[in-house]
Amino acid sequence: MKKAETSFSELLQSFPPEEGSIIPLLQNAQARLGYIPEEAVEVIADYLKLTESQIFGVASFYSQFRFTEPGRHSISVCLGTACHVNGGATLLETTERELNVKPGECTADKRFDLNRVACLGCCALAPVVKIDGEIHSKVNVINLKEMWNHYD
Amino acid sequence: MNLTINNRTIQIEKAVTVLEAAEKNDIYIPKMCAHPELTPYGGCRLCIVEIDGRRGYPTACTTMAEEGMTVRTDTKILREMRENLLQLILSEHPSACLLCEDIDGCKEFQSTIRKVGITTGCRWCPKDRDCELQKIVESFNIHQLTLPGLYRDLPIEKYDPFFDRDYNLCIYCGRCVRICSEYRKSSVLALKQRGKQTTIGPAFTDNHTDAGCEYCGACVSVCPTGAMSEKSRKWWGVPESYVQSVCPLCSLNCEIQVLTAKNKIVGTLPPGLPHESAGDLCVKGRFCLSELVNRTERILEPIYLFPEGNGIVVWDQAIDKAELILSNIQTERTAVFLSPDLSTEEYEAVRLFSEKVLKTSEITSSCFDSNLIAFSRMAMKSASIETVKDAGVILSFFLNGNYNYGPLTLAIKTASDNGVPYYQTGWIKDTTSRFARHRFVPVPGEEVSILDEILKCLKDGKTNKPEILELSDYLIKAGKGIIVAGPEMMSLSNCQLLLEKIETLAIITKSQIFMPLPYGNLKGMLSVIQLKPFEDVLNKVEKGKFDLLYFIGDAPFSSRPEVKYILYQNSFPAPEGLNPDLVLPAALWGETGGTWAGSNGHSQPVVAAALPHNYALSHQEILIKLAEKMQNKEFVTDAKNLISGSLKAKKPMLPALKEVQKITVPSKPDPDFPYVLVEEISPHRYHNLNLSKGISGFGELVRTDQLMMNPSDARKLKIKDGDSVEVVNKKIIKTLPVTIRKNITEGFIHLNTSNGMRGFDCNPCYVDIRRVHV
Ligand code: SF4
Ligand code: SF4
Ligand code: SF4
Ligand code: FES
Ligand code: FES
Repeated sequence: MKKAETSFSELLQSFPPEEGSIIPLLQNAQARLGYIPEEAVEVIADYLKLTESQIFGVASFYSQFRFTEPGRHSISVCLGTACHVNGGATLLETTERELNVKPGECTADKRFDLNRVACLGCCALAPVVKIDGEIHSKVNVINLKEMWNHYD
Repeated sequence: MNLTINNRTIQIEKAVTVLEAAEKNDIYIPKMCAHPELTPYGGCRLCIVEIDGRRGYPTACTTMAEEGMTVRTDTKILREMRENLLQLILSEHPSACLLCEDIDGCKEFQSTIRKVGITTGCRWCPKDRDCELQKIVESFNIHQLTLPGLYRDLPIEKYDPFFDRDYNLCIYCGRCVRICSEYRKSSVLALKQRGKQTTIGPAFTDNHTDAGCEYCGACVSVCPTGAMSEKSRKWWGVPESYVQSVCPLCSLNCEIQVLTAKNKIVGTLPPGLPHESAGDLCVKGRFCLSELVNRTERILEPIYLFPEGNGIVVWDQAIDKAELILSNIQTERTAVFLSPDLSTEEYEAVRLFSEKVLKTSEITSSCFDSNLIAFSRMAMKSASIETVKDAGVILSFFLNGNYNYGPLTLAIKTASDNGVPYYQTGWIKDTTSRFARHRFVPVPGEEVSILDEILKCLKDGKTNKPEILELSDYLIKAGKGIIVAGPEMMSLSNCQLLLEKIETLAIITKSQIFMPLPYGNLKGMLSVIQLKPFEDVLNKVEKGKFDLLYFIGDAPFSSRPEVKYILYQNSFPAPEGLNPDLVLPAALWGETGGTWAGSNGHSQPVVAAALPHNYALSHQEILIKLAEKMQNKEFVTDAKNLISGSLKAKKPMLPALKEVQKITVPSKPDPDFPYVLVEEISPHRYHNLNLSKGISGFGELVRTDQLMMNPSDARKLKIKDGDSVEVVNKKIIKTLPVTIRKNITEGFIHLNTSNGMRGFDCNPCYVDIRRVHV
């Protein structure tokens, strides 16, 4: 993360140390790194004399900011009520175990990032897993693993 | 200003919201997110009202009262709308019990099935009968849920000390987030994401400690639901009484209320209504006191050291044994050791007892070393918290306000938020650091040089540091300077030199000094007893000048010194190797009344909140029992006349200050010893108990006997949290575990020693850190 810090200290100086600088600084960080790592928030917080939570609170209000490193593909496992009762949690567990990744993180080979969501709005098809834009319905552990093969 | 609420004409004086106007006149408007300490939020919408001439249904908490306004708070349509809002809230809030037909029977008979991991209804909730949501719903006659229920199934957060969080019960009123930033100025919590995904907590992690939480408990106090609950008070139910008292854990002596249930002390809160007051307490006053009183390792009955070993005895037998010992001792052959956290009456009783029964003047306290004597000279004239709030400029030296001195750090943060310039000098980042205009990091061993530079700049206006110039300017022009001298300084080799310079700076700039001390009633102790310096008494112990050592609260020996008899009177067990001849169980704070000298000069009398534990007796009662046995009528009469709460602190008696000791200036930086070790003798004590050792939650926050280092140093050294390393200087090697903390300055290693003694020859000193090879 050293890189993030050095490029950042120059960037920081070009913004006044006040609350209004949060959004432009975060946008810059995201543009450079593709996401906003914890270290960047730490540096920004230090500079603006705010806490990381204050920055995070503002930033996470806008869905354009992401705080996790993106993988090439993005898996979202639904844990809404309908999906939950139909085995969503098992799908999540399996994904975590088989791909060795935790929700909010991305695999070591950057192939997948994993997220959990609460209801994707298609409960009739539960349990549902979304990969990139695509909804996969009535997923079970077997076709779940099969499905990954289509994404490289 | 006049307005009408529900056909009643109401007069108000100053600008208030409609909600406040109504509440002041005992007109009830349901509310959930509004809170007297916080700016209006308008989140829950339960406080909607009708106002003539206004469209829609404005929320009373965000609408200012105006002349001539006509407000209705309780119409049919408002009731319906509120019911709908409650239905919305309940659809996401585990509410089985609110709607259960057997609710009345259940309240009465099912009180024992409460300790469950997951809350599905009120009977299984730690806030049962103390919950604002419950009260409101009950006033509404809701018997059915009209919306499908949703359980968020969020993991319950139990891994942080002192309080648990179950956000499945959260109604997103945002009080916790707002109190933490608006009032406590800590901004640990944030509302993260939005809409359905909203969660509450610190950035990135869910771990409060790493996010800088002070465990002040303000968020827990103001939470209207069971989402936040105190670990130790969770299943005690609604407290039965709230007794006014003061905190004995530092010189600020914060006012607190002691909560009791079933004649036990179950918790403490800041003054004010339980859900309304955020308070200024620190974690010690807010969470540690009740845990101290209820520690399982308390002395429960008298113990006598028989030739065969320790045995429990009844009080009468114990007093017989004590008499045997005491009647064998000559004048001035007893040394008395006191802890600095007894009540002033207890000190007076000890003074009388020493004079009349023990016939000795050798009274001391292990805290009373030469650095403290130097410190006390100034601390007794310490400014008040009010003057800190009102300061023109604030300057702190070696203040580590983390988990400590709540009102002081809050006053600094609030003042700084209002534009008062604040400068900090020291190595550790604390809760005030974010508010500092500039943080001076002194060169180890040359800590005074910053003071010298300021003093020089004040004199001739010359300095090459812009911050010093700015600061000197403020000191001259802004006036009302406050210099905070942190007690962390007492562990430094250069302590007395620093103090001299601070005093000079204060005199020159007409600033006041604020000195918090980690002792609950040092002032009271010094105002009734002429203490001997600890080093002097220790010397005499070593030279065999005493036959009896009488420990009252204090216990500065880890093994038994060469002496005929040891009497140990305390609430907590003696250090393992001390082997006292007789152990007498004493009541502690909260179980006895008495006066606390208080930091602001006014003495604070308090009453007991609960009865002493088991067979414990108050220190006075024990001394009276002993004197009665020894037929010392004079003491008995005097001690019985000592009415609790009657002793005002007088002028403290301090021994003359000796020559400033020769100082061991740390060796200059040496490539072989690249790190700076700053050692602090852990100041968090009550009697002989170190809070980090005695209260596990506190031990997680203030790590003792561990090396605390910055994450980037740890990365460089390839050390993980919890690894053991060797810390080495030219003379000493120690192996200790590492804790990684962001608030440690790079290049510095902090060590909090719990046994009251510094492990290294000078402080700070240069060291090397070596990984231990297994
Ligand atoms: S305990 Fe205090 S500092 Fe910690 S989150 Fe709650 S209000 Fe903030
Ligand atoms: S945790 Fe409590 S105080 Fe915080 S938003 Fe939820 S209900 Fe309100
Ligand atoms: S600041 Fe001192 S007196 Fe106040 S709660 Fe903390 S330890 Fe107790
Ligand atoms: S619960 Fe998964 S799509 Fe609605
Ligand atoms: S109390 Fe007014 S909107 Fe919540």
